[in-house]
Amino acid sequence: MGEEGTKGTVHLLCLAASSGVPLFCRSSRGGAPARQQLPFSVIGSLNGVHMFGQNLEVQLSSARTEDTTVVWKSFHDSITLIVLSSEEGTSELRLERLLQMVFGAMVLLVGLEELTNIRNVERLKKELRASYRLIDSFLGDSELIGDLTQCVDCVVPPEGTLLQEALSGFAEAAATAFGSLVVSGRVVAATESWWRLGTPEAVLLPWLVGSLPPQAARDYPVYLPHGSPTVPHRLLTLTLLPGLELCLLCGPRPPLSQLDPQLLDRWWQPVLDPLRACVPLGPRALPAGFPLHMDILGLLLLHLELKRCLFTVEPSADQEPSPEHRRRLLRAFYTLVTASHFPPEPGSPEEKVEDAAQRSQVPRACYLVSGPEGPGTGWRLVALQSGPRRLLLLSAQSPTHALRGLATHTLHALTPLL
Amino acid sequence: MARPPAPGSVIVPDWHESAEGKEYLACILRKNCRRVFGLLERPVLPPPVAIDTASYKIFVSGKSGVGKTALVAKLAGLEVPVAHHETTGIQTTVVFWPAKLQASDRVVMFRFEFWDCGESALKKFDHMLPTCKEKTDAFLFLFSFTDRASFEDLPGQLARVAGEAPGIVRMVIGSKFDQYMQTDVPERDLTAFRQAWKLPLLRVKSVPGRRLADGRTLDGRAGLADIAHVLNGLAEQLWYQDQVAAGLLPNTSENTPADPYSQPSGDPRQRAAPMS
Ligand SMILES: Nc1nc2c(ncn2[C@@H]2O[C@H](COP(=O)(O)OP(=O)(O)O)[C@@H](O)[C@H]2O)c(=O)[nH]1
Ligand SMILES: [Mg+2]
Repeated sequence: MGEEGTKGTVHLLCLAASSGVPLFCRSSRGGAPARQQLPFSVIGSLNGVHMFGQNLEVQLSSARTEDTTVVWKSFHDSITLIVLSSEEGTSELRLERLLQMVFGAMVLLVGLEELTNIRNVERLKKELRASYRLIDSFLGDSELIGDLTQCVDCVVPPEGTLLQEALSGFAEAAATAFGSLVVSGRVVAATESWWRLGTPEAVLLPWLVGSLPPQAARDYPVYLPHGSPTVPHRLLTLTLLPGLELCLLCGPRPPLSQLDPQLLDRWWQPVLDPLRACVPLGPRALPAGFPLHMDILGLLLLHLELKRCLFTVEPSADQEPSPEHRRRLLRAFYTLVTASHFPPEPGSPEEKVEDAAQRSQVPRACYLVSGPEGPGTGWRLVALQSGPRRLLLLSAQSPTHALRGLATHTLHALTPLL
Repeated sequence: MARPPAPGSVIVPDWHESAEGKEYLACILRKNCRRVFGLLERPVLPPPVAIDTASYKIFVSGKSGVGKTALVAKLAGLEVPVAHHETTGIQTTVVFWPAKLQASDRVVMFRFEFWDCGESALKKFDHMLPTCKEKTDAFLFLFSFTDRASFEDLPGQLARVAGEAPGIVRMVIGSKFDQYMQTDVPERDLTAFRQAWKLPLLRVKSVPGRRLADGRTLDGRAGLADIAHVLNGLAEQLWYQDQVAAGLLPNTSENTPADPYSQPSGDPRQRAAPMS
């Protein structure tokens, strides 16, 4: 699982369901966007088998070859997405969620109307180009994990209350209830209404902001796939400090021109130091100096009710394995425990009512040893569920019997943060 | 609008290449790269030097694909987009530029806020054009040397976008000048346009500049040298326009050319604030 150097390819195909016309193809290789295209005949056959099934009222959802997993999904009988992945450790769960995110991104940027009522394919193709950047960021090696967990990637700022107050005040001054502070795609602070945004937009909006090239400010039309798929809203972003953006979601008002430097200064200069402290927080997620056991190489903490998560592979950065490898290990472990060990997350489409009876027997912890076997080698992964929280840890040294204790202790320490 | 000042009459043209100019430029650079400023930040000069900042909003207008986004990226010292993707909505970019005034020998920090909006967003969303035009100090009208239609559309653009906006600087910029060999816009057409409209006209090439030794990072100083004429041109028009608006300069009639040496040294900027 996730050995260094084994790098697969991901191909994503988007087709108009009725005509089979390809709308776009995106690919990544070894975690970076790639030009490589599938031959047209392959695209045609992949779509063909799916359509063939549909005509017989058979839903083809996934298939596996020796090295590749394929997942199909149609949306609103109008758009078919197909993903092929030969990445090590990939799974149906990961790919299904990827397709949900991709379709969410398409709705976010062009609106549901254009996607379900395709009048002009060429125009739609052109409009969809605006979503390439965001979609590519799901295909490649991202530092974020919300695409997989469907929880919002967050960071914990050192002076959260101060920032929260400034944010609420500013949002009120701008006459919107929806405001957040985002550092490299992760939410630092948000107003209550922002936190109540549904899935997938709660995950998509900060992700979008993190994926765009730097700009002092933007007035960006967005459709909310869950909350407002046909009526666009305005996402206003203001770069307070390089890498740190203030985001507002609004209707027709206020105009971007009203959020001028004087207004920004008034609200944000007083908290300049706490803001500065947020800038390097992105990959670290936790406040500087937060005590973590030195065996921990990476962690993922999920709050399944709040739908937020903290994800970092920064601890002991000087040690093996590399950050990319650590992220791959934790992503694969998350997929494994979610698909086969832990109960489905509340609200996820995989959840079924009859599972309740089995709940009493579900494991509350699992662990996995990855890499070379034998004492003192390989990576250890442990997952622990407690109430709404689920913690996944990556560790190198800890002996297997100590993992549970390490996880329990760490979850306890992290609980006040999320 | 006042007749445009002669190039070099308001701003010292090559000052950024002088020893003094280079010292000032250091505050918008960091390790030979252009510094990116957040909206809460400003360039900081060494303590004894305190200069005024003059802020302007500039709306960049022009048909899709003429190079608006590329020009703004080039001015900001960022990577210029290679493939054309229509800009989604409005995006603004802040560029700081220190320049020396001819009349008073004073250095002023210009803060340009460029407003760039994709054409289809302008058409689709009613609020975008008014927002871009609101309280703007200047319009940049872009045409591309490789797209004749974009040049022919200029009078229409000028009327549609800046029609009822007297007293606001209007400048025309011909982009993709690096592809001049394939141009669809011959010099005589430019001359005719100039005579008819009496607007300042600049030529730009928004192509990536020199890179540093690592072969990847853009060389900030080289990039600034590439675009100094555009920023100085803008600074000149805007500063001059402000002086006219403040009544410090006669609003030169159509026939009298602006006299570059008749400016009083008082600075009329209302918005100018000391830098902290
Ligand atoms: N060679 C050259 N290409 C340019 C220049 N300016 C823009 N382009 C290219 O023209 C295309 C459209 O530019 P863009 O700035 O996105 O156009 P916009 O729609 O006006 O924002 C892009 O592929 C740019 O790389 C230029 O000065 N020279
Ligand atoms: Mg553009």
